[in-house]
Amino acid sequence: MDAARGYWERIPARGWVLASVVAVLAFLYPSYAGSLAGLPAVGVYVPAVDSMVVMIVFTMMAVGLNVVVGYAGLLDLGYVAFYAAGAYTAAWLASQHFEQWTFHLGSAGLSPELPGIHLSLWLVLLVAGLFTAVTGILIGLPTLRLRGDYLAIVTLGFGEIIPQVVRNGDDIRGINFTGGSFGISPIDAPGFGETLSGAGLPVNYAQSFDRARLFYWTAVALLLFTVFCCVRLRDSRLGRAWIAIREDETAAAAMGVPLMRTKTWSYAIGAFFGGIAGAYYASFKSGAFPADFYFNISIFLLCMVILGGMGSVWGVILGGMILGWLNVEGLATIGSEIGLQDVPRYQFGIYGIIIVAMMLFRPTGLIPERRHKREMEEGVADTPLYDVSHGGGGQEGH
Amino acid sequence: MSSHGQAAEGRSNGVVLRLDDVHTYYGAIHALKGISLEVREGEVVTLIGANGAGKSTTLRSINGLNTPRRGRITFEGRDITNAPAHEVVKLGISQAPEGRRLFPRMSVYENLEMGAFQRSDRHALKEDVDRVFGLFPRLAERKDQKAGTMSGGEQQMCAIGRALMARPRLLMLDEPSMGLAPIFVERIFEIVKEINEQGTTILLVEQNALMALDAANRGYVLETGQIALADEASALRENEQVRKAYLGET
Repeated sequence: MDAARGYWERIPARGWVLASVVAVLAFLYPSYAGSLAGLPAVGVYVPAVDSMVVMIVFTMMAVGLNVVVGYAGLLDLGYVAFYAAGAYTAAWLASQHFEQWTFHLGSAGLSPELPGIHLSLWLVLLVAGLFTAVTGILIGLPTLRLRGDYLAIVTLGFGEIIPQVVRNGDDIRGINFTGGSFGISPIDAPGFGETLSGAGLPVNYAQSFDRARLFYWTAVALLLFTVFCCVRLRDSRLGRAWIAIREDETAAAAMGVPLMRTKTWSYAIGAFFGGIAGAYYASFKSGAFPADFYFNISIFLLCMVILGGMGSVWGVILGGMILGWLNVEGLATIGSEIGLQDVPRYQFGIYGIIIVAMMLFRPTGLIPERRHKREMEEGVADTPLYDVSHGGGGQEGH
Repeated sequence: MSSHGQAAEGRSNGVVLRLDDVHTYYGAIHALKGISLEVREGEVVTLIGANGAGKSTTLRSINGLNTPRRGRITFEGRDITNAPAHEVVKLGISQAPEGRRLFPRMSVYENLEMGAFQRSDRHALKEDVDRVFGLFPRLAERKDQKAGTMSGGEQQMCAIGRALMARPRLLMLDEPSMGLAPIFVERIFEIVKEINEQGTTILLVEQNALMALDAANRGYVLETGQIALADEASALRENEQVRKAYLGET
């Protein structure tokens, strides 16, 4: 019986091989990206390593959003708030913004006299994740009592409020928290400092000739970490509770699933990864600016989840990489290849068409979640709450 | 603490569940207008009545999906009037809800596992699954099938099995015969008796009054949110009013 075997043994060998091959190919990407780009005809569409970092960071956020939308079935239209919270945590803890204090803790490759708070970026990522998770809980407590559309509307509100707070946060009782519309920049890069540089580890990414590659490898590692956690969570008791809530909230409550606590956990965990991704991206860009945190981002991330397949981690990664690529350079490249320079200006129209097409032709996404996939194969109607008969020998008595 | 005293009192006369003048509202709608009833250990008690009489609302008030505005509900001497649904399950009341409400995209086995969600003794799960499969061999054949793809009767079996997985001391069944073929209805009521004989107290809500009164020890007749009649099931079956209104006799 399945349940008797260990967790890892239940994953088919094919799954292991596929996952390992993808991971190895991803890590090696910088070494063969150049040759791919040299290919005739298709070479121009190969993303640069720099662009890949951005694509992966957004994919990571989409995987986090998938915990909320895909697993727990809570439509969150304000995920950008978590991205912002993560980015500003990095801006506060690893920049010269608070120049009145000089505090260094594990900062890599910086002069100890440099004013401002400079924590090691590894620590900052963790703190950003935790801080954002707390933000998620605070946003969740009042909003998660709402269902369906109402929840979507309120989260939309929070997605708008946070950028406004950030934009206007440069003078709160005389203290400049957010740098207003100028944002905060520069932000420190990750690194391993002088002590570990002997082991071949880079002192500071930004000061290295390999900057793009280092940021790329770290991004891949962070995405792998996110995927690992999300897959394990999905198959845990908590994950089962999320899916129960998604399937039928009232029935879940009647089974003893504590609704508020379970939903709040999904928010907190979704936010945690959004916060880490946001902080890492801020470090990569070396800045956090309020103009980055617009509503569009929330929708863009949601499109990634829908395109890939709600609830399916591998689907969301694929959806995230495709839309991420279109956003970062794909649309511009296609535009210049076909001689229409303003293709990128129509990006949201194009994403909209993609989503509508998906809804029409493949509503469960590019790589559907296992549960949805079986449904497609078995040809099941959606709501069996009241009598639906599937030709199951004479169950209707009247 | 006082709850100990109450618990002792509750057990001494065998009352497991007691509702005392319970009023429940949906917004401004006064759905339950002072329901008082009791269920004693080992009994099958049925609530019968027309659509909208408040049968399901009574169950929802007990299991915490609705909170009564007035009145008191005690289970084994403990006040559960305002307890949230997940606490009520933990205390030992589980329910097969109206319309079954299985998790359609989960397998039969996963649905049963969800029934045991609040239990901490997860290792005993296997034993209980076997017990459910013993009661419903059909479910064992279909354990990997998705619940939403089964027939109505099989879904009802799964819903009852899922409720049993919580190892309840009080099992509430809401319209288990709804929409089922006569042969399934009979089977379901046999199972209800069997579960009761295995030692579980049952509160049964039914529109099929004849079958329900056959299976029950005692019954309550609900009319527009109030208890119209309360008696032994056999007496209710002979009651002229009941025969006219609910047993289809003129």
